[in-house]
Amino acid sequence: MDAFSYFAISWLSPELLGLTALGTFLGIYVGAIPGLSVTMAVSILISFTFSWDVNYALCLMVGVFMGGVYGGSRTAILLNIPGAPSAIATALDGYPLAKKGLAGEAIGLSTIMSVVGGFVGIFVLSIAAPSISEFALTFQPRDYMMLGVLGIMLVGSLSGGSLAKGIFAGAFGLLIGTVGLDPMTAEERFTFGIVELWDGINPVAVMIGLFGISEALHQLHHMNKAVVKQKITRIIPKWMDVKKYLPLSLQSSFIGVIVGALPGTGGDIAALMAYDHAKRITKKPEVEFGKGAKEGLIAPEAANNAAVGGAYIPMLTLGIPGDAVTAVFIGALFIHGLNPGPLLMVEQPHMFWFTVGNLTLANIFVLIFGLTGIKLFSKIVECPKGILIPLIFLLSVVGAYAINNSVIDIWWMLAFGVFGYFMRQYGFPVGPVILGVILSSLTDENWRRAILSERGSLVDLFSNLLTSPLSVVLLFTIIFILFSQSPIWTRWIKPKLLRSKAN
Amino acid sequence: MPRTVYRRPGERVFCFLLVVFSVYLFWQAYGISGFSELSSPGAFPLATSATMLLAACVVFVNTLKLPEAEGVRFFYHCFPPIVGIVMALILIFAIMLESLGFILSSFFFLFVGIQFLYQKSVLTTLSITVLSLVVVYIIFRLVFQVVLPEGIVPEREILAAIEQFWRG
Repeated sequence: MDAFSYFAISWLSPELLGLTALGTFLGIYVGAIPGLSVTMAVSILISFTFSWDVNYALCLMVGVFMGGVYGGSRTAILLNIPGAPSAIATALDGYPLAKKGLAGEAIGLSTIMSVVGGFVGIFVLSIAAPSISEFALTFQPRDYMMLGVLGIMLVGSLSGGSLAKGIFAGAFGLLIGTVGLDPMTAEERFTFGIVELWDGINPVAVMIGLFGISEALHQLHHMNKAVVKQKITRIIPKWMDVKKYLPLSLQSSFIGVIVGALPGTGGDIAALMAYDHAKRITKKPEVEFGKGAKEGLIAPEAANNAAVGGAYIPMLTLGIPGDAVTAVFIGALFIHGLNPGPLLMVEQPHMFWFTVGNLTLANIFVLIFGLTGIKLFSKIVECPKGILIPLIFLLSVVGAYAINNSVIDIWWMLAFGVFGYFMRQYGFPVGPVILGVILSSLTDENWRRAILSERGSLVDLFSNLLTSPLSVVLLFTIIFILFSQSPIWTRWIKPKLLRSKAN
Repeated sequence: MPRTVYRRPGERVFCFLLVVFSVYLFWQAYGISGFSELSSPGAFPLATSATMLLAACVVFVNTLKLPEAEGVRFFYHCFPPIVGIVMALILIFAIMLESLGFILSSFFFLFVGIQFLYQKSVLTTLSITVLSLVVVYIIFRLVFQVVLPEGIVPEREILAAIEQFWRG
């Protein structure tokens, strides 16, 4: 019954309970306010909470994560502006519902289905993670290296735009992660003789720069968009509706968990896939999709919250983040002295069950806060950007300073903020950069371990690699992603495939 | 994120700078341990910077091929004055933070920032600034116990005096 007692830690301690509630509450608003993102909030929170006890910090951040994924749906429904990328699919049918005056009902229904999705995600996490981490113990260093590369490439290729831009961003992140003294030989790398660089560039400063400063700078382009007010009436959904759509929401939840668990894919893709699934299986929708079909609201909402639990699977068992938010989260775990990976389950099983219990608790708070406080909600969301944006800058600067009480981190943060701003302007994804920073030491060390164990021989490395089924699968997936974006594929093979399909 | 179907102004220069930057990093990575061993400390940085260089070249060439976007100006669509001004404001704030201390520098930053972006009367800005500063200070300094630069404001003495006052 050890697992259960760890599970209940955050339920029984009033402080942890309060922090989870606070986190979820904050998360819902951060997710809902366009221009604020969960990644931004968690990056800034890391810097403020890293001196805390690990349980306290985790409670707050888990709450923000869970609440934030849900919160994005609110503004998607009310304003047709997805508060978070994972709510893009929600806006497709949520906003038409709101225009019909059914905003309250849409919010209520999306809340219930989000919570259902959340529970499915957590359930799968608690069942799958222990066996996956056992399997992961058999991984060779070369497999870890390839998993790292694969994760970065998937995020790079799926974040829209060109793969080359994604690869550039990912490689840049990996390189940032190598700055400082080499952990194996203590040789200086990219330090330019500056002692301050021996410890490397603080990943939190990079995160706040890329997700706080650059995002807020980008928001300055959209200062004059007016907020449309919606009248919200009934918010508790009809029991009939819940019962009717439960099967769909369960199916969508399973799609969400699986997509969320794959490295490189998160809630946004899960939501779009679930939307597509709902469209295909609903033969006779009461209302057309895109015009306010409840199916089109439920599927993405259940899926994106289920993806949270799914995303925790590779994060806790392999130490590989699925997307930018989980990359930031892994950064937080490292800072608190935890090493996410297969050994986490063996060495610190209490952390795993604590996280599962905490996620469950946060999900319950989503239900509570989701169905109440709607008046307060519309007040806060109307907070003008002219006030909000200076505050984000203030918190970012103070947050960067608080990491080490040094101004150097502020300079790094500003440099990455400005660089990230131009990256966004020219269509470079910033997510892979942070993924690279987090995965850098894992990839570097495992590469060297792999090559050392073969006594420096590439021939031996490849012959061993090609005889292990897992390594072969990983290698071919990487090659396939590269190939699928190359001109040979897009110009010659893809059109042929499409033609044969059409025939 | 804007999808680049057309080439935005400044994009060519940005991509070219990335190529130059990657070449510089590659050269620096070579300087760590050269092409000595596959397991040397320099091997991984060399591989990543080579990847950056390759990707940057591909992006640069692709960008050159794109048609120029019409009616899009660099200083209006990509880097409007408002962004530049705010960047300068943050820079001044960061420079002032240690010498002036958190309270004063944040006060000036918020006041100027909100006045500039929200554009309401000075009194409104002032009250919003004071209110948000008090909230931030209470949450982060007093509840989260984050160490913030004191600068020229004798914060500890003031806090101690307030505590003394409440105790009577």
